[in-house]
Amino acid sequence: MIELTGQTAVALAVLVPLVVATVLAVADRFSPQPHPAVSRPVAVGAALASAAATAYAVLSDGAVDLPWIPALGVRLDLAPDGISAPLLLLTALVGVVATAVPYTRPETDDGQDGSTAPLPAGPPGPPRSLATYYACLLVVLAGALLTFLARDAVVFFVGFELVLVPMWWLVARHGDATGRADRSGAAHRFVLFTATGSTLMLVGILALATRTGTTDLDAWERLGAAGGPGGQLAIAVVLLVGLAVKVPVWPLHTWLPWVHATAPTAGSVLLAAVLLKLGVYGMVRLVMGPLPEGFAQASPVLAGFAVVGIVWASLACLVEPDLKRLIAWSSIAHLGFVVLGLATGSATGLQAALFGNVAHGLVSALLFVVVGHLKHQWGGADLRTARAALREVTPRLGFALVAGMAAAMGLPGLAGFWGEIGAVLAAWSPGAGRTEGWFRVFAVLASLGAVLAVAYAARVLREVWSGDRTAPAIADVRGTSAVLVGVLVAAVVVLGVYPVALLELTEPAVTQLLGGATAGGAP
Amino acid sequence: VTFSLDLVVLGPVLAPAAGALIVLVLDAVSRRVPALAHLAVAAVALALGLVATVPGLTQAAGDRRASFCLPSGDCLYAAGSVSSGLQLLGLGAAGVVLALAWRDWLGPERGPGGTAVQAVLLLSATAGVVAVVAARDLGTLLVSLELATLPTVGLVALERSRAREGRAVEGAVTLLTTSLVSFALLALGAALWVAATGSALLTPALAREASGDPARSGLLVLAAVLVFAGIGFKLSAAPFHSWTPLTYARAPLPVTTYLAGASKVAAAGALVVVVQALAGASDFALTALGLLAALSMTLGNMVALVQQDLVRLLAWSAVAQAGWVVLPLSVVSQRSGPAAAGYLTVYVLATLLAFAVVIATARGGAVTLEDHRGLGQRRPLVATALGLALLTLAGLPPAVIGLVAKVVALRPVAGEGVWWLAVVAALNVALGIAVYLRWLAAVVSRQPEDAGTFVAVVPRPERWTHRVVIGVLSLLLVAGSLAPVGLW
Repeated sequence: MIELTGQTAVALAVLVPLVVATVLAVADRFSPQPHPAVSRPVAVGAALASAAATAYAVLSDGAVDLPWIPALGVRLDLAPDGISAPLLLLTALVGVVATAVPYTRPETDDGQDGSTAPLPAGPPGPPRSLATYYACLLVVLAGALLTFLARDAVVFFVGFELVLVPMWWLVARHGDATGRADRSGAAHRFVLFTATGSTLMLVGILALATRTGTTDLDAWERLGAAGGPGGQLAIAVVLLVGLAVKVPVWPLHTWLPWVHATAPTAGSVLLAAVLLKLGVYGMVRLVMGPLPEGFAQASPVLAGFAVVGIVWASLACLVEPDLKRLIAWSSIAHLGFVVLGLATGSATGLQAALFGNVAHGLVSALLFVVVGHLKHQWGGADLRTARAALREVTPRLGFALVAGMAAAMGLPGLAGFWGEIGAVLAAWSPGAGRTEGWFRVFAVLASLGAVLAVAYAARVLREVWSGDRTAPAIADVRGTSAVLVGVLVAAVVVLGVYPVALLELTEPAVTQLLGGATAGGAP
Repeated sequence: VTFSLDLVVLGPVLAPAAGALIVLVLDAVSRRVPALAHLAVAAVALALGLVATVPGLTQAAGDRRASFCLPSGDCLYAAGSVSSGLQLLGLGAAGVVLALAWRDWLGPERGPGGTAVQAVLLLSATAGVVAVVAARDLGTLLVSLELATLPTVGLVALERSRAREGRAVEGAVTLLTTSLVSFALLALGAALWVAATGSALLTPALAREASGDPARSGLLVLAAVLVFAGIGFKLSAAPFHSWTPLTYARAPLPVTTYLAGASKVAAAGALVVVVQALAGASDFALTALGLLAALSMTLGNMVALVQQDLVRLLAWSAVAQAGWVVLPLSVVSQRSGPAAAGYLTVYVLATLLAFAVVIATARGGAVTLEDHRGLGQRRPLVATALGLALLTLAGLPPAVIGLVAKVVALRPVAGEGVWWLAVVAALNVALGIAVYLRWLAAVVSRQPEDAGTFVAVVPRPERWTHRVVIGVLSLLLVAGSLAPVGLW
């Protein structure tokens, strides 16, 4: 009997989804393939076990530290801290949501794209390779957990890359676009963009590793500016460009709307709620901590791009005809606020960014679950098609959509509010070394973006939720989906009403990060 | 000149060379010696060579096993742990080729002594591969590099299928012409090197001294660039790559595997030897290597992206990967040599596996991307092995070993702050991923369930040799992904 300690909990959090994913993927290669009624509960069970282990690891401050690649001095050093703990809990929750969300079959099956094949008679049989689908979800989950837990830059990078292939598979094989070409185009775009970004990040990591002689993230944070200011800017820029692809920051965001619109619901949820967070987390861990001066020099430009992204994406939301793509655009706007908060370099800004990061994870998970359900029921997500008003036909779904859009517009009392208001406040009085004038302009522009968010949220609610059409009728959420939506709405409300819980969790780590940085930065 | 000679140290070279001699003698004694005996001798010789590399592998870092030592203390043959690792790789790659060719070479011979000749050519080329990585003077380097190359011309030409014979001879002629040009460049470079440094020994001190003297430094740069160009041909680095797709596509597939695996070990090993002897004495020569790397990966990946024939795709991917092997050597760093060797190891393992799958799935020579469509459904295990190989080449987890190889190759470049090269390499990672994912997407794609035009292909039973090779190589990659140790 193994005693459950923090150490085993950390190991289990990553290993359980990985091992179960391997078993599912292997089982799927043999005939008869596991039935979806078997593979889904197995996957949900693995996600739940991993979530429990993650929660325990966060509470008990567990840590694993093993040598892995001795020749490179890389250690399998996994431990949660104040900055990663909220993201770990978010990932664990979203992992359960993603595996439990009902699978919907792609609208057209392979091999019949655009052809005049007769419609299949009767309901289609159970789709094949669902075990591989669940295996991919679990690998994405494990990769994200590994990235957030890693205290070594190379392990961080491995986790960062681990999510690519399964995500590619999910989009290319199970995406809900109508044609195979569309799906594989979106999947390739996702992999190529993010792989380019992460390799640039790797170049930055290796440059930092050579300067400091170690890949230990804690050591990097402690050293702060110990490497001296020379060359900090070059490394910081390479790292920021690489991570900006993942976040994504305007103008490197072009991959996101297409991929989001194409990915299956679970894939969209994971992508928005977890994968985009990896980019922001990387900026905090790899750039803010180890390269404070380089980051300070680059931050006005970064903040400028972030603000342009907020306005750009919000304007796109006003005209975007595809509801799922609209939610994807709004993700870009919200992450603009998060990056703006980071760029201010103040404790308020960093707190707001970390808060906004988690809030966006919950809100986007909620919205993608709702919109995924709608898209499946509607047979498309085009807002120009006349549909029944959700208020009339599906009150539960309608309520969830209203809650999600209200949080997205930054209404006080919901999760989206604190991150955005914090980012704007922090931009008004930025941290040391930032030009105040520029940042005040950014604050004004970001506020404009927040106004636009109200406008597009109102647009969505007007077109989808309000009205009195009752045909064509669609089914409301029920069963598992209803529970998932309920949990996410509750989380959004709780975080909005009682933000202190999260802020207190991150505060010591934020103080330490900025304290170490400013102490190191002072000559 | 007096030498101190240590035959035990030379074991990895002597084993395949002695094997070649034994096969020749057997063949001369009696024409009726069965083909199986020749192949068995070859297998035993390669196995003995593998065993002989073990002492070199286990020695402490910095130690070396030397032979042909001059009274001055310089040795013409010295194998450190990295060289021994490359020797192991070269012998292993030759063993894989022998296993893949086993059934073909046991088949009916065209003319007398076919199998014996092929076994001799394989063994002597391998002896050259093993010798070149431990060469420490220009004479040994040149002779062993040619020994590693010229027999492969014969191997390419000795195609047993009459239908493919003409094409194979064309491929062999291309390879022969290239080898001669490359040898001319190498010989010229070596002569200039001797003129610049006053010695045929590849010692860093001599190169440093020559580069300090303005009268001789230009000569040294010219010598280095010519030698790099000569080796560039063998490594199929752009712009010296044009023979690669031609020869790869026309040679018998196991021989192509040899060219893509063991021959690359010889070329990369020679490059490491020369770069280490240069020891950063010439920035210009290293910049030239950087350009070579950037050009190779970009061109190789771009052309590979549109190939339909899988052997040609692998040929262009070899051009791109040659760029990655050269990449770490283009900066002055302690880590350059081991990084190039480590990357090469991963590349060779993955390429051997990819070729083994291509051979196992080939029907009548050519294999196109369309042939591999739906392979995941028809032959799931082979397809999984292929997926592992492709992900390793692309450097994507779950094939962590490919990712670590990219880390290792990029580390010297990023560490020295050669940003332009690092950024080109980073963009090429994405290009490479596009190349290999295109193939992988075809492998995992589903075939229409009941399309009337689809003719079900009855899987041909795999040969046990193919199964063993694919299994062993997959296991090595999986083990390397779980615990990437001991490669650099």
